[in-house]
Order: sequence, then C-alpha cells, then structure tokens
Amino acid sequence: MMADRISTICTRLNVPWIYKSCYDKDCRSSPDSFHGIGLEKGLEILSEVRREFGVPVVSDFSVPDWAAATGEVCDLVQVPAYLCRQTTILKAAAATGRPVHLKKGQYMSPWNMKNSVRKLEAAGCYEVLLTDRGTFLGYNMQVNDMTCFPIMAQTGYPVCFDGTHSIQMPTSMGNISGGQREFIPHLVRAATACGINALFMETHDNPPAALSDANTVLDIQYLENILSQAQIVHTTRLEILEKFGEDNVHPPS
Amino acid sequence: MSTPQAELTTVSEVALALDSFPVVEPRTYLKVALERMEQFRLGVVCICDAEDTLLGVLTDGDLRRKVLHIQKPFSALFSDDVIIHSVQSATTVAPDSLLTDAVKLMGEKRIWDLPVTTSEGKLVGLLHLHPAIEAVLNQ
Repeated sequence: MMADRISTICTRLNVPWIYKSCYDKDCRSSPDSFHGIGLEKGLEILSEVRREFGVPVVSDFSVPDWAAATGEVCDLVQVPAYLCRQTTILKAAAATGRPVHLKKGQYMSPWNMKNSVRKLEAAGCYEVLLTDRGTFLGYNMQVNDMTCFPIMAQTGYPVCFDGTHSIQMPTSMGNISGGQREFIPHLVRAATACGINALFMETHDNPPAALSDANTVLDIQYLENILSQAQIVHTTRLEILEKFGEDNVHPPS
Repeated sequence: MSTPQAELTTVSEVALALDSFPVVEPRTYLKVALERMEQFRLGVVCICDAEDTLLGVLTDGDLRRKVLHIQKPFSALFSDDVIIHSVQSATTVAPDSLLTDAVKLMGEKRIWDLPVTTSEGKLVGLLHLHPAIEAVLNQ
C-alpha cells in the first residue's frame, strides 16, 4: 500500500503529511481512461488510511452532490483546478465545514484566485489552501510562474506547490497527458525557495502501471530524495528570512 | 469678503451626509471603489470599518499617481483591496470647525475634499469644496 511507504518516509524525515487520493477522476483526456473506483469504495479506503496511519486525508470532488459525503470522511476537501471558479462547487465545498484545498486553474491568473477565495468566504469558509499546479499553458506544456506564490499569499491564506502535475504536458500523448518528470526536483526546489507552506506530489511505486497520470507521478523511490531537498531549501529560506527580514526589497507602494 | 455670519458657519452645516458620498469597507475591490466614486461623481472615496472609523482615503490624484507608478497588470490592480492604495493619514476636519478655516485648509493642502470626523475618528460627513465655496459666497 502506498500510504504505508509514504508514512515510513515522512516519519523518518519528520515531515507532517496528508494522504490524497481521488475516487472519481472527472477530467480524463479520453472516455477510455480510468475514471476511479467510485465515491463509496474510495471514501472507504480513505477512511481506512486515516484510521491505520493516523494521517489527515483529502479527496477532490467534481460534482456538488459528492461534497457532503467527501466532507464527512475527509479532513479537507479539494476543488479541482478546472472547477476552481465554479460557484456551485465552491459553495458545496464550503458547506462541508472542512478546510478547502483549492487548486488554481491554468486559465486563472494568480491574483484572480482572490475571487474564488471571496466566494468561499461568502459561503462561510475561512480555511483555504491555494495550490499552483502549473501556472499557465505555453509551448505545448505547462509553465510555472513562481511569482504566483507571493501573489496568492496576499489573500492571507497558505500556498502550496503541486510538484508533479506542474510538469504535465496536457494531452501531449494524443488521448492522455505526458510529462517531464525529470524537472520535478528543479521545480520543487524553486517553489520551496520562493516560499510555500505545503508541497503536493503524486507518487507511485510503479509509475508505468499507474492507472492515472502515469507520465507525471513521482516514482516513490525518489520521494525521500525530493522531500529531503525540499526540507533543506525550506530551512534555508527560513534562515534567510531570519537574517534579512521579510521579502521587502522594492515593496509595492 | 465673507461676513461675520459666514465666519460662524460650521463644517457640519455644509458637509455632505454619510449617504451622499462614497464610503466603502477596507476589503472592497479597488475597481468597485472607483465605481462608487463614479456613481457619486466625486474624486474621493472614504474607507471605514463597520463602526464608521475612518481608516483611509483614496482620491483621483492618488489613483493617477498609482497608475503612473505601479508596474502590474490592470486586472491585478483592480482586484487589490482598496485599503492597500489609500492614504491612511488623511487630513480631516472636525464637525464644529469653522467653515472658513476648513476652506483655508483645503487651499493650503490643495485638496478638494475633507472627511469630517469626530474626536474618536468616526466619519460623520464629507466637506466638498464646491458646496463649501458656495456657502461662503452665499453668506
């Protein structure tokens, strides 16, 4: 079980972690792609992971009607990037009473995410995590703009970098997405140095056999390596802040 | 020259009432604040908390300087909270101040509007130059 291996690594590194898995993937490139194991079975597994490993769990949901059940089991609920400005989804997420993990769609500017945050707040949600999973599309791939983190942080909420979806090349393989996994460590180091509060990564013990995102998931054999690098960079960033103060060079006036 | 009577007119007698000029809360989008200014056809917007405490003031002039200075896309500027771009130590006037003194102050400061605040910092009105001058001339 992946959770077991992730738990061992994170315990060894003393990294607090959240287990994420999706029971119904509604944004596959092809009708033939694996769509997930369904809400009931998926939430059952998430409950089991939560119980067995004592970690918070999260899942995304693509249909407002799935929100309540997801919120009953999960410690936080995730809004998919494609749906990040859909009022009905955001209202449903807020109604769960859980913190909301909100991914930025590539069609949204970092500053425009404030509108989605305001929708959540209007629906009573004041606990939000904002994640970039590839800032925008260009050169037939995703381009990662590191300024998105300080900009999204201006909402007052923590920010997160999705280190594996960010190297995705959407639908580059015709009916599935490709990706350039070799860039995961580069981008993780860059985002961590820029200043993030959390890191999101999908990992698998046999990527070619992964039923989803086979071209972007991080082989778990590299997870400890990447997390260790992120830890060092994060610690260094905190030391830099301690020594030089907040990032106040040319502050906005 | 103003008459002795005009010199006794106070600011509160001429100031615009709270519902007659733009007042917004600090987290209002800059664009929405500008729309409120346009709606009232005034070059100033006052930013207050829920208890009417004046937190800042933004004027046409402030905005002009921002537009010339800020290097960010308009979509980002428009979505900023208005309080970010406001002047938070604006010149104000007390309700019982003499109108002539207030007009002199606006002349010295080269400003068109004076928020009227109590000694506790609560916004109670706005002295706009045009009605103020008119009141002085009509005395």
